[in-house]
Amino acid sequence: MSLTHSDITALVQLFGDSDWNEMHLKYDGEEIFLSKDPASPGPVPATANAVPAGPGAVAPAQPVPPASAARTQAPAAPEIDRSGWVEIKAPNLGTFYRAPSPDADPYVTEGATVTEDTEICLVEVMKLFTTIRAGMAGTVREIAAEDGQMVEFGATLMWIEPGA
Amino acid sequence: MTVNRIFVANRGEIALRVLRTARAMGLETVIGVSDADRDSLPAQMADRAVVLGPAQATKSYLNVDLVLHAAQATGCDALHPGYGFLSEKPELARRCAKEGITFIGPRPETIEAMGDKLSAIAVARAAKVATVPGTDRIDSAAKAAEAAEDLGYPVVMKASAGGGGKGMFLARSADGLASAFTRATREAEAAFGDGRLYMERFVEKARHVEVQIVGDGAGNVIHFGDRDCSVQRRYQKLIEEAPVTAMPPALQEKLRDSAVRLCAHANYRGAGTVEFLYDVAREDFYFIEVNSRIQVEHPVTEEITGQDLIRHQILAASGAGLQIAQADIHLEGHALEVRINAEDAERDFTPCPGRLTAWSPPDRPEIRLDSHMRAGDLVPPFYDSMVGKLIVRGKTRDDAIESMLRAIRDFRIEGVTTTLPFAARIIDHPDFRGNRITTRWLEDTVLPALETA
Repeated sequence: MSLTHSDITALVQLFGDSDWNEMHLKYDGEEIFLSKDPASPGPVPATANAVPAGPGAVAPAQPVPPASAARTQAPAAPEIDRSGWVEIKAPNLGTFYRAPSPDADPYVTEGATVTEDTEICLVEVMKLFTTIRAGMAGTVREIAAEDGQMVEFGATLMWIEPGA
Repeated sequence: MTVNRIFVANRGEIALRVLRTARAMGLETVIGVSDADRDSLPAQMADRAVVLGPAQATKSYLNVDLVLHAAQATGCDALHPGYGFLSEKPELARRCAKEGITFIGPRPETIEAMGDKLSAIAVARAAKVATVPGTDRIDSAAKAAEAAEDLGYPVVMKASAGGGGKGMFLARSADGLASAFTRATREAEAAFGDGRLYMERFVEKARHVEVQIVGDGAGNVIHFGDRDCSVQRRYQKLIEEAPVTAMPPALQEKLRDSAVRLCAHANYRGAGTVEFLYDVAREDFYFIEVNSRIQVEHPVTEEITGQDLIRHQILAASGAGLQIAQADIHLEGHALEVRINAEDAERDFTPCPGRLTAWSPPDRPEIRLDSHMRAGDLVPPFYDSMVGKLIVRGKTRDDAIESMLRAIRDFRIEGVTTTLPFAARIIDHPDFRGNRITTRWLEDTVLPALETA
C-alpha cells in the first residue's frame, strides 16, 4: 500500500493549516518533506553525523537570529545541501573573529583543509579571546557567522565536512 | 545617565517583574539567558533575548564577563541584576560603571560595605542603630569563652563573610563553646574561604522584621513600611507579610526610623532592605544586615503602598532621585506572600523539577501572582526551586489569611509537586493566625508535627 495523490494533497492541506514549520514523513519506503521555510536545509538524514561535544547537541541546528535582523525572502537563494557536514558552535556568547588580529589573514577560508588542531576562529568575551579549533579533520565548507559580530551560545560559526 | 535600554541579568519571576516595569516605563529591554531558559517567558517577553551560555549558572548567569559583554554588544545603557546571582557582587556594579553602563542598584562601595557583616554592623553603630549585643572578630576559643561570659548564654557564633545560616553555631553553655568555635571556623572556611567569626547574644524568641527603603544616593532616604518574615526553614523565608503587626506601634516607628537613619548615613542609593531581629521578650530590636538589592518579598510592600519598587530602583539609579516624599507613602491593608517552591514538603523539601502539566491560578482582584511559569513549561533542575510567588491583599491580616487560603485552594498545579499545600497548613495554623510565631516556630513546632503525623 502506498500513498495516493489524494493522500498527499490531504497531507499538504493539513500541513498548510497547521502551525507546524516542517513535516518529515516516512511511510512504506516513501518519504515526504514539507517545510514553510524556503531556506530549510531539507530533511535530516536518519544517519546524520553526531555533532561533536557541546551540551546543545540535541537541539536542531537553527539558532534563531535576533528579532532585529531583517529576514530576506530570497526564493532564488541557492539551496545548500549540508548533509554530512558538521557545525562548529559557539561555546558561549561573545564576538566572533575570523582572524587573530584586524590586519591578519583569516584563520581559514571556505575550502580550507583542516585537522583536529587547526585554529579556525576566535570568540572574544570582554577582551578575553578563546581560540576555537576544528576538532576534526576535513574541509571548511561554510563560514556561517559574521566577522566582528556578536554570536550567542550555540550559534553556528562554521560548517565543516569531515574527511581525511 | 539617561536609561533607554535595560539589560536584565537574571531569570525567572524577577526577570519578568523587571521587564514589566521597564516596559511600562517605555524602556527597551534585553535579557541574557542560559540555554535552559531560551524558551522561557522572560526570554519571549523581552524585546530581545540572547543566550549567554549553557545551563550551568557559573557559565551563564554568574559569569560577569559574559553578562557585561552581552549588555554592551546589545547596546544596553543600564543593567538590572534582580536578586541572587550577581546582584550583590560589587565587581559587577564596579565594572558596569567602568563600561559606562548604569547599574540599577547601590554603588559598589555600598554593596561591599553591606556585604560584609562586620562592616555593616560598624555602619549601623555609627548611625546609632541598635545591634545585637556581640563582639568584633574573635580569633580563639579562649577569647570566645571570655566574651560569652560578658554577653550571657546562649550565644551564637557567626561567619563574618556568611549568609544563609552557613557557619553559624549555637552554644548554650561554656561546655559547648569550644566545639562550636571549632566547627563554626571550619564551616566558614569551607563555605566562604574566610574563617573569621564573631559572636552574638542569642535571642531565644525572635521575629524577623525588615524595613523597605529607597535612597537617592545623596543622603535622602524614605521607607515603605516594614515586613515580617518569621516563617523560615533553615534561614530561608517561606511566607512574608506586610506590615509588621506583632510590635507595639511606637517601637515600630522607631524601627522604621532606624532603617532610614542607617541608610541615610551610608548615602544609600536605590532600593534596599534593612533586616532586624525583634526580641519578643525584651520588646527590642537589633540590626542584622542590609540587603542591597530588590528582595523576593518586595511585592507585599508594593501591595500595601501601591508603589512600584522596581520603578523607584530605576529612577534612583538614573539619577532622577526619589520623586516622592515620605508623606506620599501611605500604608493600607495587609498583604501576605507565599513562595511557591517546586519541592516536596513531605520528603524533607526535596526539589521536584519537571514539566508542569497544569498551571491555573485563580484570578481575583485581591490576588497577585508573580511567576514566569505556564502550563507545559519545564522547571529546570539547575536553579533555585522557586516557581512563583502568590500574593494576596486584604483589609486586615485576618482577611488576607482567608484570601490566601482560598487562593491556594483554587490554584491548580499538576506535574510538579510544590510547597503550596504546605503553605496552606502553616497559614491555617492557630499559632500563625494568632500571630504568636517566632523564627524557630516552623522548625520547632510545625515540622516535627508533620513528621509524626
